[in-house]
Amino acid sequence: MSPLLERYAVMVAVALLATGTVAGLIPSTSDTTRHRIATGALAGVVAALGIAIAGRWLRESQGPFLTMYDVLLSNTFSLGLVFIVATGVSEVLRPTSRIVLPLLFGMGVWLTMVPAEAVPLPATFDNPWLWVHVLSGKVFLGLCLVCAAAAVMQLASPGDASEDGNAALWSMYFIAFMAHTVMLVAGAAWAHTAWGRFWSWDGLEVSTLLTWLLIGGTLHARVTFRTMQERVALGLVVGSFVLAFLTFFGLPFLSIGPHKGFV
Amino acid sequence: MMQLLKKMASLRLSLAGMAALAVVAVAAAGRNGIDTAYAAIPIGVLIVNLLAALATNRSLRTQTGLLVFHVGLLLVFLLAGLTVLSRFDGHVEVVQGGEFAAQAVEIEEQGWLHSGRLDRVHFVQGPIRVDYLPGLRRGATRSAIEVANGGVGVEPLTIGDRDTAVLGGYRFAATFNKGFAVIVGWQGHDGRVQYGSIHFPSYPENDWNQRIDWTTPAGEALVLELQLGEPPIRPNETWTLGRTDLPFTLRVTGGSDAVLAAGESLAVAGGHVSVEALRLWMGYRVDYLPLLPWMLAAAFLAIGGLALHYRSHYLRLAKSAQRSHPVKGGMLDVTAA
Ligand code: HEM
Repeated sequence: MSPLLERYAVMVAVALLATGTVAGLIPSTSDTTRHRIATGALAGVVAALGIAIAGRWLRESQGPFLTMYDVLLSNTFSLGLVFIVATGVSEVLRPTSRIVLPLLFGMGVWLTMVPAEAVPLPATFDNPWLWVHVLSGKVFLGLCLVCAAAAVMQLASPGDASEDGNAALWSMYFIAFMAHTVMLVAGAAWAHTAWGRFWSWDGLEVSTLLTWLLIGGTLHARVTFRTMQERVALGLVVGSFVLAFLTFFGLPFLSIGPHKGFV
Repeated sequence: MMQLLKKMASLRLSLAGMAALAVVAVAAAGRNGIDTAYAAIPIGVLIVNLLAALATNRSLRTQTGLLVFHVGLLLVFLLAGLTVLSRFDGHVEVVQGGEFAAQAVEIEEQGWLHSGRLDRVHFVQGPIRVDYLPGLRRGATRSAIEVANGGVGVEPLTIGDRDTAVLGGYRFAATFNKGFAVIVGWQGHDGRVQYGSIHFPSYPENDWNQRIDWTTPAGEALVLELQLGEPPIRPNETWTLGRTDLPFTLRVTGGSDAVLAAGESLAVAGGHVSVEALRLWMGYRVDYLPLLPWMLAAAFLAIGGLALHYRSHYLRLAKSAQRSHPVKGGMLDVTAA
């Protein structure tokens, strides 16, 4: 696929995200209609970005793992996909599309603004742990996003929170924790094979460890302080997503760590 | 005693330990961070806390998934500690045709409990080939070695981007560091001849600066510059670093000045230097982390524990919540709000 076609596919996705976002803002739509529009728009986004990713992959003979463009492209795709699956399984979390869609729209716009040129993947990067690391990371971020969106909505109108909504949120957060644990472990295994260090306390690793401790600590605190204000726990859920978001999209591009060893 | 154990098992202490670990991690991050050994303090606290909880906390002991997760976590902490104490990490350059020498390894990190057994590792460096794509992007690296096989013969191995060689428990991984070497001979006034290799700066990274300071065995400081007649580097094409039959000369300055071709020699203070041949050298990272596979296994045990806990706790919770409150509008009926 040519870079131009890839660009069109991205534009289609951004337009769909814009449509979905605006539709979500119309006050009179019912939840069912809003969910249908959100899911429809996101299915289109996933299809368009899936085509863009596949075309790019074939053209460059490597996956979207390295540049800011790669990471935004693959994550906008995977966040959309995880949202569809998660809200398919857990209907009670469907209204979170009101928060998820605008965020994905923002990422889509950001995607159109960063340079799309591919940078070759260093030969040592390509090993099976990379796959486990990347896939579990995407599952984690997607689930954490849905949980954070649900937490924001509960914080905004606590009166509307339901018991099953709450149960869905915390059990999804627990799966997110599991996926994060897999990502952390596979990342260490990957680093060991790719550049000989399983843990080197660099900014990215530390930030990931903090996210893991924050999520684990939050789950722990709910057990330790059974009377803990739910507001605090929900705030921690949102905080962990913010930290994870910064780790995924901020830190890797401030440090050149993983890119050393090129020549 | 029980009282003390229960205090040490406090879940508040677990939270404090996690928070302290987070603080140490932030402080240790980056090049100017504090010594990472400080992480041993919060991890030590967490280990004691967890051991006490495993001994006294009924809730932890009766929920199988949680028990497995925390035991896995405990093992990861313990194995990480043992790894730090027993590890070895260093790097070495080996010249093509030359034998690996344990004393040439530069040590980066060595645990207190590490007993050096590198001198049991024997291999000879064979041909080195590194592919480059246009724009000097590094492609595949293949470094052939021949490992002495307990006196029975030699075993050929190739170390590459994904293939490391584990010799005597030490893992040898090829690095991006490699370059040209010139084999030189030295004959002192006592008539004894010795040969050695002079490693020039990493190539092609420093193709513009193939110069190095060298002190002769007689103590004269010289500057040697490798001049390649046909440098292999092709910045905008695909090429391979690997040939050693390239025309070259060695420029000597800093006292005795000359330009020498292969086979030529120069009289310097205290003896003669002769230029023998062009070779490549390969830089390896050498590490010894025998517990790493066990740490990985413990981590997966912990993950398995989480999955079990999810099944027995959260899945039930979600199902019972759904049964008692069948879904109508959704988690928040926003239109109704
Ligand atoms: C090191 C000392 C630790 C101790 C003594 C400890 C103890 C416990 C205990 C007793 C429980 C069960 C609570 C209950 O169901 O009544 C628990 C649950 C849990 N712990 Fe730990 N833990 C420790 C460290 C950690 C760490 C480092 C993490 C991860 C960051 C972690 C993650 C969890 C999770 C996710 C749960 C399940 C909470 C839930 O069911 O939602 N623990 N822990």
